[in-house]
This record gives sequence, C-alpha cells and structure tokens, in this order.
Amino acid sequence: MEAALKSAYTEKDHAPQPAVRPWFFTRPTAKTGIVSWLTTVDHKKIGLLYGMFSLFFFLVGGFEALLIRVQLAVPNNTFLTHQLYNEMFTMHATTMIFLAVMPLSAAFFNYLMPLQIGARDVAFPRLNGFAFWVFLAGAIILNVGWFTKAGAPDVGWFGYAPLTSNQFSTHFKGDVSTDLWVMGLQILGVSSVIGSLNFIVTIINMRAPGLTMMRLPVFTWMTLFTAFLIILSFPAITIALVELMMDRSFGTGFFEVSKGGLPILWQHLFWIFGHPEVYILILPAMGIVSEILPTFSRKPLFGYPIVVFSGAVIGFLGFGVWSHHMFTTGLGTMATAAFSLATMAIAVPTGVKIFNWIGTLWGGQIHTRTPMMFALGFIWMFMMGGFSGVMHSAAPADAQQQDSYFVVAHFHYVLIGGSIFALLAGIHFYFPLVFGRMVSEFWGKLSFWVIFIGFNVTFFPMHFLGLNGMPRRTAVYDGNMGWNEGNLIASIGAFILGIGIFIYFVVIVYTYAKGKKIKRDPWDARTLEWAVPSVPPPEHNFHVTPTVHARDAFWYEKTHAKEIAEENALHAKEEESHGGIHMPSQSWFPILTACGMLFGGLCFAHHFFPGAIVGGVLTFLGVIGWAFEGPGGYHLHLDKDGNVKPDHGDSH
Amino acid sequence: MSAHAGTIDHHHDHTTTTGIPNKKLFMWAFLASDCMFFAALISTHVIYRLHPTPDSPDVLKIFSIELTSFSTFILLMSSLLMALAVGASQKGKVEATRKMILGTIFFGLIFLGCQVYEFNHFVHLGLTLKSSMFGATFYTLTGTHGVHVAIGVVWLVLTYIRTFKPADASKSWIARAVTQFVAFSVATVAFMVVMLAVTHAGAEHGYNLGALVKGVEHSLVATIVFGVSSAILVALSRSSWAVDFGEANAIDVEGMGLYWHFVDIVWIIIFTVVYLLEYL
Amino acid sequence: MSFATISRRLATATAVALLPLFTSGWLTGPQSTFETKGPVARSQLDVFYVTLWVTMIVFVLVAGVLAYATLKYKARKEDAEKPMPPQGHGNPFVELGLIALSIAALVVIAVPTLRAIWYTYDVPEEQRANAYEVTAHGLQWWFKFEYPAEQIDGTGALVNANELVIPAGRPVRVNLRTADVIHSFWVPKLAGKVDMMPNRGNHLWLQADEPGYFWGQCAEFCGESHAVMRFRVIALAEPDFAAWVAKQKQPARTVVAAPEQPKLVAAGYIPLVNPKRNAPGYTAEFDADPMGHWIAKQEVDAGEDVALALRGRAVFKEKACITCHAVRGHDGLGVNGPDLTHFGSRTTVAAGLLENSKVNLHRWITEPNNVKPGNKMYMGVNGMAGYMTADPKGDMTVAHIKVSDDEARALVEYLHSLK
Repeated sequence: MEAALKSAYTEKDHAPQPAVRPWFFTRPTAKTGIVSWLTTVDHKKIGLLYGMFSLFFFLVGGFEALLIRVQLAVPNNTFLTHQLYNEMFTMHATTMIFLAVMPLSAAFFNYLMPLQIGARDVAFPRLNGFAFWVFLAGAIILNVGWFTKAGAPDVGWFGYAPLTSNQFSTHFKGDVSTDLWVMGLQILGVSSVIGSLNFIVTIINMRAPGLTMMRLPVFTWMTLFTAFLIILSFPAITIALVELMMDRSFGTGFFEVSKGGLPILWQHLFWIFGHPEVYILILPAMGIVSEILPTFSRKPLFGYPIVVFSGAVIGFLGFGVWSHHMFTTGLGTMATAAFSLATMAIAVPTGVKIFNWIGTLWGGQIHTRTPMMFALGFIWMFMMGGFSGVMHSAAPADAQQQDSYFVVAHFHYVLIGGSIFALLAGIHFYFPLVFGRMVSEFWGKLSFWVIFIGFNVTFFPMHFLGLNGMPRRTAVYDGNMGWNEGNLIASIGAFILGIGIFIYFVVIVYTYAKGKKIKRDPWDARTLEWAVPSVPPPEHNFHVTPTVHARDAFWYEKTHAKEIAEENALHAKEEESHGGIHMPSQSWFPILTACGMLFGGLCFAHHFFPGAIVGGVLTFLGVIGWAFEGPGGYHLHLDKDGNVKPDHGDSH
Repeated sequence: MSAHAGTIDHHHDHTTTTGIPNKKLFMWAFLASDCMFFAALISTHVIYRLHPTPDSPDVLKIFSIELTSFSTFILLMSSLLMALAVGASQKGKVEATRKMILGTIFFGLIFLGCQVYEFNHFVHLGLTLKSSMFGATFYTLTGTHGVHVAIGVVWLVLTYIRTFKPADASKSWIARAVTQFVAFSVATVAFMVVMLAVTHAGAEHGYNLGALVKGVEHSLVATIVFGVSSAILVALSRSSWAVDFGEANAIDVEGMGLYWHFVDIVWIIIFTVVYLLEYL
Repeated sequence: MSFATISRRLATATAVALLPLFTSGWLTGPQSTFETKGPVARSQLDVFYVTLWVTMIVFVLVAGVLAYATLKYKARKEDAEKPMPPQGHGNPFVELGLIALSIAALVVIAVPTLRAIWYTYDVPEEQRANAYEVTAHGLQWWFKFEYPAEQIDGTGALVNANELVIPAGRPVRVNLRTADVIHSFWVPKLAGKVDMMPNRGNHLWLQADEPGYFWGQCAEFCGESHAVMRFRVIALAEPDFAAWVAKQKQPARTVVAAPEQPKLVAAGYIPLVNPKRNAPGYTAEFDADPMGHWIAKQEVDAGEDVALALRGRAVFKEKACITCHAVRGHDGLGVNGPDLTHFGSRTTVAAGLLENSKVNLHRWITEPNNVKPGNKMYMGVNGMAGYMTADPKGDMTVAHIKVSDDEARALVEYLHSLK
C-alpha cells in the first residue's frame, strides 16, 4: 500500500506536505459563484463561457446584419450613412467570423473533445482558461470603437491595403478605428493559437486507453485538423497585421504605396490565412454533423476512414488555393490557371463528405428529431454553397462574380447554411448533455423551419442580384438596375431569419430554466461523451477513465454492458490506489495575464505607448506568477454510489 | 483489451497516450506555428529585396559581415551549451545544469549585445525603420528574432532561479528569487551600456586597452551598477539546501532547449537570406 | 463536335431554361452579366453556363438520392419493434467510384475554364495590331480615362472623366492604374472585372459588338463612397468615334458675350431645389434611352443663358475651382479633379451617380457631401483645402469655400456650356 502511494514515474509522494504559499499563490477553490467562473480551469465551464459570449456576439452580428438589410431594402435608402454602413458590414463580418462562429466552435471543442477522448480535462487547463480570457480581450478591443467618436473599424473584414494606411483610414486625428481592428485581430489570433496548441496536445496525448487515432470520434478528428489549420495559418495574418501596425504606428512602409509598398503582398498574406480560415469555420461543423447523422440514423458513419482522410486533404489543400480570392488582381494566366485547378480539386474531398453523409442515411432508421433536422438542413445548404463555390473556381466566370452579391450568397450558404446550421444542430443535440434538460420538439422544429425558410428567402435571391451586376459592400443602389425586387425579398427574408433565431434562443433559454429534465443518453447516442455518469457531467467527467474497445465507444459499452462494468470496477480500484481522481487547481493568473493584454492592447491601439508598456509588464508578471504558481492539483475520492466524498481531497 | 489497458493519471504521472510528454508535444506544435511566423516575415523581406524600392541603401556598405558572423557563431555555441544543460538536467546534475544555463544566457546576451550594437550602428549610418523598405523589413525581421532570443534569455534566467527552489516546501524563497531576477535584469542592461560605450570608444580611438578604459570612464555609473548587481548574483549563486529540482524537471529544460535550438536554426536561415545572399 | 460548340449549345439551352427569370427582370438590367455585348463577357458567360450545367446535373443526382434516402429510411412508428439497421462502416468501391465521377465532372469544367483564362487575359494575338489602347485610373471616388493615342499639342494625352468612350467592334485594351487605394474596373456587359492595384500595372481587354451605352461600377471596396463610384462606357461606330475624338481635342467652348443681364432674380428664374440625400439621380426618360441622351448632350443646349455662363466662368476662378479642375483653353489647370473641358457633353456627374441635369449639378456643387460623402472636392485633397479645411488641431474640419445658390446656378450654366 505504501508503494502504491508513490507515483510510478516520479517516485515521489502523490500528496507532498502542504507548501507555505504567499497570498498571491493561494489557489482559489470556489466551485460556484463568480470566482469559480473567473478562475476556472474546467474545460466544461470554459466551453460554456465560450458558448455564452459567442452567442452574444452572434446576436450582435445578427443585429448588424439586420441594419444592413434595412438599408438595402429599397433603392437610394437613407437609413444609414455610407460611413455607418461601411462600419456595419466590416463589423458584421469580423464579429461573425472571429467572435461568433470561431468561438462557438471553440465552445464545442472545449466541452466535447475531452469527453469524447475520455479525458478529465485538457492537457494545460490554465492555458485553456487563458485562451478564453484573451479571446474576450480581443473581442472588447474590436468592439470598443462603437463607443468612441472614431466609430467602429470601416475597412472591410479583409482590410485591403492601402485602404488601412493612415492616409486613407484615419479621417481625423485620434481616429483609431483601424488600429483597434488591427490590435483586436492580433489578440484574437493569440487566443486561437494558444487554444489550438492545447487541443492538439490533448487529442494526441490524453486519449483514454484503447482509443487509437482511427477510433477517434469524427468531431475530435475535425477538432484536430482545425487546430492544425489555426496554428499554421494564423501566423500569416498576425505578421501581416504586425507589419500594418508598424506602418501605422512607426512609419514603416510595408504597405505604403508612396514608399514602394506592395498592396498585393497584404492580399497574399491575408488569404494564406484567410482560406484555411474558411475551413477553420466549416470543419468543426462537419464534425458535429458527422456525430448527429449516425446517431439519428442508428448506424455508424459511412466510410469513417474516408471522412477523416478527406478532412485531412481539405486541410492540406486549403493552404494551396488562397489566390482564388484574388483572381481579379491580375495574377497572370499561369497562376490563375493553377489556383483555378487547385480550387476545383478541393471540391473532391468536400464532395466525398457529402456522399458519406448520404451513405450514412442510406439503409438507416432516420429519426427526424430537431438536431437531425438542422443537420439535414446543413447538408442541403452546404451542398448548394459548395456548388456555387465550384462556379467561382472557374476563374473566367469568377471575373464576373468576384465581389458581387453572388459571392455574398455563396459564402452565406457555406457559413450560415453550413457552419451555423451545424452549430445550431449541435446546441440542440448536446443541450441534454450540458444542462440535463430537453428542448421541446415542437418549438425546436418550428425554429428550424422558420430559420430554414428565412435563410433561403434572404440569400437565394442574392445569387441573381450578383449575376445581375450588383457589387457587394455598396450602401446604396439605384432603382433602375433591376435589383429592387431581389433586395426587398432578401430584406424580408432577413427578418424571417431573425424571427427564427429569436424563437430558437427563447426556446433555449426557456428550456435552460424550465425544460423537461432527462436522464443521461436521451438520443441513444454512440460516442464517448455520452458515457458520462450523469447529465450535466460531474466535474471529473468520468468516475472511471473509460477503456475503449471500438470506434463508437459508447455504443460498444451499451452492447457489452456487463463486460464494461466489470472492467470499470477494476479500474476504479486501481485509480483509488493511485491516490484518487486527479483534478487541476483553479487559478487567477490566466485572467490577470489576459487583463494585462487587454490594457496593453487598448493603449497601443490609441498610440499611448507608456500604457502599452505597462500592459506588457502586467502580462509578463502574470506569466511569471503563472509559472511559479505551478500547475497544482488535488484528488477526489468517490463513495460507492459514485458521489464525490465531501472531503475534497488533498491539494498540492 | 488494448495495449494501454490500465488507468492513466495524465496530470500527475506524465504518462501520455503517445509516451511523449505533453510539454514537449506542445513545444513542437508551437514551433511549427512559429515557423510560419518567420516564414511570413522572411517572405516579406525577400519579396521586397526582389522588388527593391528606389530608396534602397547599398546594403554591403552597411553590413559588417564579420560582426554578424561572430554573433552567429556565438549563438551556435550557445546551442551547444543549451544541449549540455539539457543533458545535465536529465542526469539530475543540478550544479552542471546551472552552469550550462548560465553559459547559454551569457552567449545569448552576447548575441543580443551584438544586435543592439548593430542596430545602433546601422541607425547611425542612416538605416532606420522609416528610411527605406529595406530598413522596415530588416529591422522587423531581425528584431522579431531578437525578441525571440530575449524571451529565451528571460526564460533561461527564470529557470536558473527556479533551480534554487528549496525541497522543503515550508521554506520561503520568493524574496531571494525576486532579488536574483532584478539583479539579472539590472546587470544585463548595465553591461550592455558599458559595452556600447566601450565599442564606441574603440571605434574612435582604436581597439586597445585605452579605449576600454575610456569606455568604462564614459559609463562609470553603469559600470558600478553592473559590478554591484553581478556581486549580488555571485553571492546568490550557491545553495546549501536540498533543492526541488531534478530529473522530473528535465522536461522543462528540454522544452526550453527546443525553443532555443529553434531560434538558432531560424537565425541560420535569416543570416543566410538577409546577410549572406547579399554578397552573391 | 468541338468542345466549344457543346458548351455554346449548353449555354443556349441554359439561357432558355432561365427565360422565366429574364422575363421577370431578375437577370436583366444595365449591369446584367447575362446580356453580354462583347466577346470577353460572352466567353466568361459560356464558362459560367458550363459550371452551371455540371453543378445542376450533379445537384439533381445527389439531391435526389439524399431526398430519397431521407424519405425512404425515415423511421416510422412500426419500426420501433424492428431490429437495428446493420452497423456497416461503408463500401470502398462506392467511395472510389464517386470520387472518380466527381473528378470527371470537374474535368468538364476545367477544360473550358483554362481556354477562357487565356482568351480573356489579353487581346488575341491576331487582333492585337487593331486594338485601341486606353488607360483607366481609379481615384477616390471617380475614374479618369486617358487616351495615349490622342495627343493634344502641348498638353499631353486626351483625358476624360467617368465616361469611357470607345470604338465599337474593335478590341480595346484598358490599362488599369490607381492613384490611391485599390479599385476595380467592371462593366458587366462587356467584361468581368480586373482590379486597379497600386504599384502594379494591370490590364484587361474588352470589345463592344455594337455601339451602345454601358453601365460600370467600382467593384472593390475603396472607402467611404465606394457605393457611388460608378462610370459609363459609351461605344461608338468608328466614324462617330473619330468625330468625338476630334471634338474632344478642341479646347473648351467659349460662349460669346451677350448684352443682357443674367436671369438671377428676373423673370425666367427657376429655383433649383436640391433633392434629399441619396435621392435617385436619373429620370425615367434618361433610363429609357441613355444613348439618345448622350447624343443630345453633344450639342449646345437650347435656351442657353450666355450672361449667366460668363458669370459662372468668373465664379469658377474666384472659388478656386481651377486649382483642381482643368478647363483646357480657359482658366483651370488643376489635375486633382476631373478634367472639365468638355463637361457639358457628359451624361453624368459625380462619377456616374447623377444624370448631368441642371438640378443635379446644382445639387452636386452646393451639397457635395450629401451626394458623395467624404469626396475630395469637399474634404480637400493632397494637402489642398476643399470646401472644408483641417483646423490646426487636425481633428475637425472647418468651412473654407462657400458656394451660394446664385453662384452655383452660374457655375451650372457655365459648366453646361462646355460642350
């Protein structure tokens, strides 16, 4: 017994004598209340934080979209000024991409991925919290412009140089809207890269016993690919932003035309990030759909290895097609042809996924519950977005479509019809897991149909508007262009879509408070996240770290209940003999460090460099405190009914 | 049953699915990301060398290839010391680890000193961030690398300080650690000031002992500050107590080593692309 | 049957299939990419039709299977008792077959794509000698067109603003330049867009089959008033074009002094009331026959108030308009704003936004910021003040030039006399 208390690896005691810790290294232990959220390292709580804030920004971005559609409802409208309209579409895109879809995906990564691989947390729990707080800092910096005289950023979400230079984007002294945009995106990049590094390590290194890579749930695979795309693509935009920041703050000429700068370089750097970013937005959605379809078809995913492999191919090819965003910049014939063909090639692995989803439905027993409705809607809408994407890949056709409403229609089909539909499906699907309550089937389906109809009414006419010559990002248009009907219908559709989203959220909030309580596994699901002992899952996720014997691990568990129960009992004993369930300690340092970055970032964007230095020092102190605080942790012990014993174990 | 049958206590035992420690994997993934940072910066520099702006200076008249070659060599040697530090830590030799880390810090600082001198010198020659596109790309690229080295040095210093953590957890060592860190920072800055003064004196009066004396004279305060802070460092460089630093911490040293080697390799590329190719 | 023929036939079939949309006006309009009037736009449309057909066929097949599977395998009440469906993991032969089919479909798109990429890039070799060359400059927020082939003694090439007049039935190579940010040159009926990139020499080519009046617009977001940065292309039969060039090369028309007083307050004074912000800039008559309007604009207006025009010429000088606008033969020399030498012969004002009528010009002159917010005439350009100027603190603007209603009327009369 004495030997069992020693770690097999370090030969040290599991619970060394308590250290004398100064007040600033005292670990917070609150499990409820505001402190528990501010200091949390629990991947589930962090996932919920991501979820709440991304949904908030989703509504903000949606509101901006509605204002845009009001302005465009009729020709020659005066509802918004040109300037405000430009701010609106810039912030709508930036918000939806960086503050809504990406963090909502991150919410799913955080909450589900550790559960899917049978882990108790991510590899670096404090870093995970840090990624969230840094995200929030970036979100604040991006949006703070709304409350200043300068207004919000107004350079478009891809901020093409030299429109972002001081000469063209600083309308008066103290106009820092573009600086806020630059700084906000840099800080969001830090958050994304840090979060992704953590996920990569977690997925590769913290899988439950028996969970080989080719048994990973598809969502976890897509998390892994997305994380790799993020760490490899974000540096390009970060450097582009750094160079732009140098131009704006220190007078360099990277993108200054008068100093010999090449604005085309900005476009290359931006789209080397920007195209993988498209897959960063869609791969998590594909992962979620690949979980939902098998569950409600009651059979495994069709062609699992090919779905995984096609995800990898999409990620890889995604780095080789960036210039198709630049077909009209005069690349020359060879480059245009090469990127045209590469773009067509990427349609193959994408199509393969659609074939496999249909293959999954084929021969199954399809239960059209609400999440399944959204998932099926996803396939339809994503397919249409894919087809208009193929049309863009033909560069000569794209010469007419580029920067027209046809493109606007295309990317809303893949981003709303694709990403958002899948994320909305995921919220319904996992709501019982996360909150232990079930959304009403009637209201869920009603919201689906209203959203589905509103979405198509809004965006389908835009195909015609674009082909009829309407350029995007225009605050006004004339009544003689043949665009009136399409725009009016689109604006009506936008409000239907808005009503659908409203119903969706009201239903979700109602269910959170008063929905029907349910037991675990309401959908008869297949993957490991549903194997948690109760819904919502306990802080330690699993009473016993699960052992995986097959691809759909939970399905196997349900069909081999007795064998698994015996195995778990054995492992529970072993774990207790190893000192109990090890949990990471909470910490103040992630949020403190992020506050330093927020302060420094805001000061830098306002060209107040002493403040920026103070912010940098605060960040540095935060990091040092973090390092010397140590990872920390404590042990939980369970009684025989699986409840955590009141004594919260020994911390160290 | 799979090969991994049996429970795994991830956070505690450092046993992982792949057997690679988390921190090491994290560092590899981070370096992959960092590669892309430098790739973007180096591309920018190369693109603007291929499309030079009319204000481009005559680079060969600005560069001092001897100095940069010397600092490159120094950085390479620091990698060797870093490798020795990792080796020592893996064998649990605390004292040797400390020495090697100090050596790495010292060489890293020489490299940084050379860079500070070089930047200073180039600015005197009229090459600034604003002066030309070459200035912008050059300073941004080499500056970013310099920041990487500086972060590496700070990290080494913190690790060095960490090796003094007493094994007796009830013993407080915070005041000691803070003093050491402050002394390090002050000594570094003071040393750089002295060295700059000495080199400038050397440039004026020729590189001889007289110049050294002149340089020290010109930066007397800095010299004294440097002396005092170094003395503090030396005084604090011994630990008579058992320390909480051993093989278990080797992974931290190793992660730091990966970073340090990466920064070196990046410098080899930068040195080749930014400096050597100009001489073709 | 060659590939081009097949794609042409497919294109025709598609056009027929889309007929209902055409007839209801969804795909027709001044900037429709379907009503092509030149070979470049046609070649781009042909490629589009190929992509449309291929994707339509694939869509019908895949969507059909998807719909069938969803309906056929939908769980029904009585299924509750049935056993689970077989837990199969897929079929590699089906997968490989589908991958091969997808690749085949893409090859069908790729071949015409590649042909069109080379065709649309530059004027075909055999026609190059015949090609007419112009240079288009994008500026915030208007277009300047330069005719390097038409040199005017002593002043350089002929320039025109916002209305590009070209010979019909002849390839035109447009060099694309920009003075500030990125703009994009797009005349949907003649050719797809190509961007005007700073520090980069781009070009495109287009050809109008017949004489005509074509709408174009900047297609790359270029700042505050991007939405109202528009232009026109007017294609003329070869002799008409030559006549137009000859006329444009002449210095500005000078009205002959008349004895009577300008009708500022007397009888015949028609007050010009500015429409509201963003109000439409065209009349229905103009929309019905823009080319007819353009031809009419080449002639001197009936009922010209000569005295008022002369006063306008003086105001044009007094108000410092001449620092930015050139009126060849008169006083203006400036290059920051559009050349106004033959302003009266243009159909549009404020970069294709407004019909060049008296009331619209008055609106533009008196309230430029309401027409095109942020415009350089109002805000100042290249360090020169406009209607507004920067105050010493640099974070506000104060009024600099004020144009009264009377002065504006005089300017309108003067500018419209410049045929």
